[in-house]
Amino acid sequence: MTSPLPSFSKASNASVLLITSSAVWGLLAAGLQALSTLQLLLPVLSYIAPIQVMDYGHLSPVVNFLLVYGWITSGLLGVLIILVPRFSGIPFRYGRLLTGGAILWQIGVLSGVTGILGEGGTGIPFLSFLRPVTCIFLVSFLVLGTGITRGLGGSWKSGPLLPRLYLLGALISFPLGLGTAELLLRAGAAPGAIQIIAQLVWASVIQHLWLTPLALVLVFQLIPAMTGRATPSLSLGVLAWTITLCFGGWLSNTLASEGPLPSWLQSAGVVATLLLFVATLGNGNLLQPLLEGKMEEIKRNVALRFMSLGAWSYLAAYGWLAFLALPGVRQTTAFTMTTNTTQALLIFLFWGSILSGSVYALLPVSRNMGWPSHPALTWHFWLTSIGAALMVSGYALAGIFQGLALNDPGVPMGTVASYLRPFLVVILMGQILWWAGQMAFSSLLFSSILKLFPSTAPMAVFPSQSPISTTR
Amino acid sequence: MKSTQALSVVLLSLLLTWAGQVALGYFQVGKLEPILNEETNLKEPPTPSGLTQTGTRVFASEGCIECHSLSVRGPIGSADLTRGWGERRSVPRDYLFRESALVGFSRIGPDLSNIGNRMKDPQDLMMHLYNPRNLKPTSTCPPHPWLFEMKLAGSRHQSDSLPLPTKDWKQIIPTYQAKALVAYLQSLNLNYSLPEAPLK
Repeated sequence: MTSPLPSFSKASNASVLLITSSAVWGLLAAGLQALSTLQLLLPVLSYIAPIQVMDYGHLSPVVNFLLVYGWITSGLLGVLIILVPRFSGIPFRYGRLLTGGAILWQIGVLSGVTGILGEGGTGIPFLSFLRPVTCIFLVSFLVLGTGITRGLGGSWKSGPLLPRLYLLGALISFPLGLGTAELLLRAGAAPGAIQIIAQLVWASVIQHLWLTPLALVLVFQLIPAMTGRATPSLSLGVLAWTITLCFGGWLSNTLASEGPLPSWLQSAGVVATLLLFVATLGNGNLLQPLLEGKMEEIKRNVALRFMSLGAWSYLAAYGWLAFLALPGVRQTTAFTMTTNTTQALLIFLFWGSILSGSVYALLPVSRNMGWPSHPALTWHFWLTSIGAALMVSGYALAGIFQGLALNDPGVPMGTVASYLRPFLVVILMGQILWWAGQMAFSSLLFSSILKLFPSTAPMAVFPSQSPISTTR
Repeated sequence: MKSTQALSVVLLSLLLTWAGQVALGYFQVGKLEPILNEETNLKEPPTPSGLTQTGTRVFASEGCIECHSLSVRGPIGSADLTRGWGERRSVPRDYLFRESALVGFSRIGPDLSNIGNRMKDPQDLMMHLYNPRNLKPTSTCPPHPWLFEMKLAGSRHQSDSLPLPTKDWKQIIPTYQAKALVAYLQSLNLNYSLPEAPLK
């Protein structure tokens, strides 16, 4: 086993803290999500034991908050802290400061959860937490983001360009977006219907200008490194990046109800969604040659398997959004569970798979450890993938049936709810499977960090590491 | 691509994202004023009371928006009006005094834009909040008993107690949050005419 490069080891604690916390938040979110779905499936449960903090209205925003800020963002920041100094060649100097930032982020997540459960959410998508939590996140991001940006700035001309471009976009979009949203939505700067527009812009920014670009940093850095192939066309990649940056913040208008919005905003949202799908196809065109003919390696290497699942889910998620943007479809599926389909596609299949693949690839490099050759690796992949697929298909079918029923005035609301039940069973099964997969991953993660089992050497993501793959 | 060029693209795209939508939106719908109804000499939509504003926050914190929308669409491409969820479609002016202005993203339950008009008796709304199955036995809406207090009844019942049988000489009294939430729900109505969305 190789020894870690000492200059990079200072950030190791921060990345481990972010990644392990991410695993814990993911587990908690998945458990609470299954509980909230169970309440939808069996409403009588709320009558048997009505508990305020376990009510669907409280659990649903907590789950969304935990998945986005606790699981995905925390985890992606953790793997980026490992990745960025290595691709830039500039190590972090202030390891303790980074660890402080990572701890602060977890305090923010914990405060957010307790705030939503205790005092209730704000009802604003992706901003359901209390105002002090925004301050905690911004201060924490100032520390973590500055560390990452430092590595980015010093190495612009060396190495692959696309990961740097996406990283730059994401690092600027998040703090500016969160600050602007806070100002407009909670400091009273936006009156009336402008609040609705600001809510939609913020929902677009956090999804399509923060989390998607972060995931694409890892896609364009790690897939070429793992497959040993270079990204074929830089100009196509730069074009796709430009389109993503310019139109990513306009997407949520498409799915909004037309009533409170000026109609041109919704039309602009449709155009932006279609353009972003074109950019996604462009990126797919870059990724396809990287993965072509690599099926044996994908089967053998769990990190590459997760990365390729994430890459194809990226295409599926933006394809689905383009489908929902079509005029007839949009009118039928507004206010239905198709919104949950989009969330499940993005969170569990796209961002989640990229996060899992990156953790498998990068954490061993940082900690000088390998993953135990254990069936839990395989269980994690199959349980989370099948679970997420069940969730996506269940939500999609439920949403379409719900939309058709809601648009038929002859169908009473009680009957619409009864139509959803078979799909809710499928969704619940998917959530339980995903939770079990995440449990397998968490046990593997903690046992590897604590070195409880014999492990293989880390895989060679960076040239200085020994070429042993994470196989199972 | 140089780092300065990339940085310019990022900053410009963010500026266009926020300014293009929020600033242009502001010029279009941000300066709307209430309309004076010449028959009643009242402004519409009406300015909400302090209790109603508190109710908005209770509505958000109880997570009602997770299942209910606040936007009536139509008449083309939607059955909202036929379902009786409103007498006209929602327009930006309806959200003028809402803080925060929520639209919702799911319709597990019905749209509430016009609930104040559909359920005019505050007692019915209280009964629904305490236990939705009191009014509709098949309701899938969860109960909110924490918005009520059980108090010992004195020589006579409090006027706002719920007309439900209780044990041990107790009565069910709505808390301030319940009263605020009901005030907010009652303020939600689309029974006034606007130039851009007249009542049929």
